Amino acid sequence: MKRRLIISLAILFLLFTAGVGVTVFYIYTVTKELETVISLHRVEIIRQNLVINAQTVQSHLYTIGTAFGSEVDVIVEHVSDLDRSVQTCMGCHHSEELRAKLQDLSNILEQYKDALSALITTTANIERIERLRLVAINLGNTLLNTAQEMAFIADQRLYAKTKSALKEINNSRIILFITLSLAFFIALTVAVIFTGQTTKSVATLINTTRELKAGRLGITASYPYKDEFRELAEAFNDMSRTLKKNHDELLLFTKRLSDLYRVTIPLYSLSEGLAYDDVAEIIKELFDADRCRIILLDNSHFRDISSKELHLHEKEVEALYLYYNKEPAIIIKETPPSIAPGLLDIVQEPLLLIWIKQQDRLSGLLMVYKKRQGGFNDTDLRIAAILSNIISVSFMNLKLMEDLKAQMKELKETQEQLIQAAKLAALGEMASNIAHELNNPLTSIIGFSELSLEETDIDTIKRDLKIIEQESLRAKEIVNQLLEFARKRSIQISDVNLNMLMKEVLQLASLQLKHENITIEERYGDIPTIKGDHNQLKQVFLNLINNAIFAMAGGGVLTIRTGKMDDGVYVDVEDTGHGIPPDILPRIFEPFFTTKKEKGTGLGLSISYRIIESHGGRIEVKSEVNKGTRFTVILPINPPS
Amino acid sequence: MIRLFLILLTIISSFSLPLHAQERKSEILIGLIPEENIFRQMDRYRPLGEYLTKRLNIKVRFTILSRYGDIIDRFKARGLDGAFFGAFTGVLAMERLGVEPLVRPVNLDGTSTAEGYIFVRSDSEIKSLKEMKGKTIAFVDRATATGYIFAIAFLKEHGIDNPHRYFREYYFTGSHDSALLSVLDGRADIGVAKSTIIKKRFKKEPFMEKEITIIARSVPLPDVTLCLSKGIDPSLREKIKKILLEMDRDPEGRIVLQKLEASRFISSSKEDFIPVYNLIKKAGIDLKTYRYR
Repeated sequence: MKRRLIISLAILFLLFTAGVGVTVFYIYTVTKELETVISLHRVEIIRQNLVINAQTVQSHLYTIGTAFGSEVDVIVEHVSDLDRSVQTCMGCHHSEELRAKLQDLSNILEQYKDALSALITTTANIERIERLRLVAINLGNTLLNTAQEMAFIADQRLYAKTKSALKEINNSRIILFITLSLAFFIALTVAVIFTGQTTKSVATLINTTRELKAGRLGITASYPYKDEFRELAEAFNDMSRTLKKNHDELLLFTKRLSDLYRVTIPLYSLSEGLAYDDVAEIIKELFDADRCRIILLDNSHFRDISSKELHLHEKEVEALYLYYNKEPAIIIKETPPSIAPGLLDIVQEPLLLIWIKQQDRLSGLLMVYKKRQGGFNDTDLRIAAILSNIISVSFMNLKLMEDLKAQMKELKETQEQLIQAAKLAALGEMASNIAHELNNPLTSIIGFSELSLEETDIDTIKRDLKIIEQESLRAKEIVNQLLEFARKRSIQISDVNLNMLMKEVLQLASLQLKHENITIEERYGDIPTIKGDHNQLKQVFLNLINNAIFAMAGGGVLTIRTGKMDDGVYVDVEDTGHGIPPDILPRIFEPFFTTKKEKGTGLGLSISYRIIESHGGRIEVKSEVNKGTRFTVILPINPPS
Repeated sequence: MIRLFLILLTIISSFSLPLHAQERKSEILIGLIPEENIFRQMDRYRPLGEYLTKRLNIKVRFTILSRYGDIIDRFKARGLDGAFFGAFTGVLAMERLGVEPLVRPVNLDGTSTAEGYIFVRSDSEIKSLKEMKGKTIAFVDRATATGYIFAIAFLKEHGIDNPHRYFREYYFTGSHDSALLSVLDGRADIGVAKSTIIKKRFKKEPFMEKEITIIARSVPLPDVTLCLSKGIDPSLREKIKKILLEMDRDPEGRIVLQKLEASRFISSSKEDFIPVYNLIKKAGIDLKTYRYR
């Protein structure tokens, strides 16, 4: 391009210079010719002057010395003019013939001047004067003849010169016209070709660029000339190819990443080896491999998950793991690692080893085999490294999950034990009341039994027995209720009518309430049944009522209020007790926090909180010292699964 | 620097000139006596005229006087302001016109005087005065000391009182070189002419020197002398004199002098003409009555 530009400009410059040169040359030639012609014409004028002057002087010759004679000064002037004419001629002519003629003319003029001078100045007799006059006249005539001869030569020369000059001028005109036209057309052609090539090259590149932009990666621009545009086009093609290569690689890599992601999905949801086969399948696909074996370290022994025998000693695997610096490795049959000769038996095709680690300790490995041509490459190694980390992490997650599950189970059991204990504690608190409750029917039974034993009248006995039966049944009912509550049960979700439940709880606490001289206000709203564990919820409200009774030792009003809310139902348990001081209010749901000293376990509220939480609900508390406390339990109609 | 000074001097002096003098003179006309080929002589003097014109800021022109004697009449008739006179014409003009000598050129050989020669062709049988009898003699003009008066004086000294009878024919060529050419061409047997012109001609055409034998010479006489009319304003006269005397110190002036075939101008006075007066006396010429035409 640059060369072409330089060449084009050089051609244009040369053409221009040549044009200018030719023009200048011809202008020079023409002006020179014209100058010659002009000078020849001027010479003609000079010659004419010469002749006129000579003739004038000649005419004076006849009057010199007479009364009509001109002033000598006039003659002198004319002769001077004549002299000057000849000198002018001498000064410019170069032709040998003319030069010789001019020299003659000059000599004749000198003689003429002498003769004239002599004639003018001489004082002598008439004959002598006439002789002198004759000499002068003859010389004058010779001078005139010579001048005429010269004029003839000059005329011929002038004619020839003018003719040749005109011819030359005409030639020059034609040559100049041709040269300039040629130069113009060549310049135009060069300019058109150059512009055309340049714009075409640019247009080609622009079009190719547009196609590239439109997504035709790898498209190449062809350019026939070997110049900067070719370089540009090649650079562009390189770029296009590189773009395509990178794009393809990117696609491939994306696909592999996608595969990798796909691998990771079952890996994240790995549970107890169930998806190993899936993982193996996807890894196979990921590396475009033939086989994939997952080998896990199980009790210091490598076990293939497909239960095939692995002829590798654990120590060999460990050695390889360290040998490859804990990084994935490609092993081919031709160059097997010397440290694991056992590997030779199992390596028939290129093998990719991917380590599964647990906190840097080897916990397993993936063996990916690839029979197909090409084997593995660096990208495979990089992906393998990522995969190694993912698998290691997911395997670790799996283990952690299993551990967590075990711990959760343990915790659940503990929690259940705690709930039971709390329940028993709550029962314990009620024990004296219960005893008292039981005591009444038992006293009636004992009393009527004793009366019956002493009674003989069967009807009376029957009536007493009837009472005994009734009282026994009452006692049994009490015991049943207690048993029912105290019994250790698994969670059972059922429809719960909280109004009914509250009545049952109040029934359980009725003796205590009576004992403490507490008035009960029951304000049940129209509420729907909710899903929940009847027994656990009963435990919660019994706890809250127990706490209210404790707060109102010596009398008060216990208000039970139920109602419907936007997101469920609420149950208020409100007392007119001593209230909870603000400083301890935030701590009341903490386990083992109690204000009842030895009478309480500190578990009641914390267990209640956990139960309500497990039902998807919440407990709110509002308390004022010496005025009372209100617990509000809010429960959703359907607890979370 | 000198030129600048001269220009300045010219300007200052032109201002100092009396107004009437400036107004009166629009041209200075100086006559030339035909010493040699008049065209050549004109060529020699023309640059001097141009030089003086430039320096004086007054047109200075030369005019050839066709015959020696004319000069006195023409001087009057044409109102000439001055002329380069020969020795005799100078004396004549002083006597009759009252002109005053101003300067005269020094020839290239250092002389400012000229001698009169009586000469013949070398192949001539004439070796002395006695062989001249009955021959043709070419004088220059009746009014020239070196070209005529000296020869008359010479003849008188040698006892020839009537030269008109002594020679077969005598005539006047009007110029010195014409007299020389007359002898060389054979139109005359004997020639009388001024040494300076002859020498100059010899220098140009050396072959002539061998062809000419000099029989007699005069005493040195003042060569051409520029004499100015009495009527010339004295300041202008002094100015012209100053320019001419100093022109050999001016490069441009030196070129003009070279053309004139002179080395410089020197001052001239009436005393320089004493030898001429003596010669006139010897020739027995009365200036008052002398018919020079």
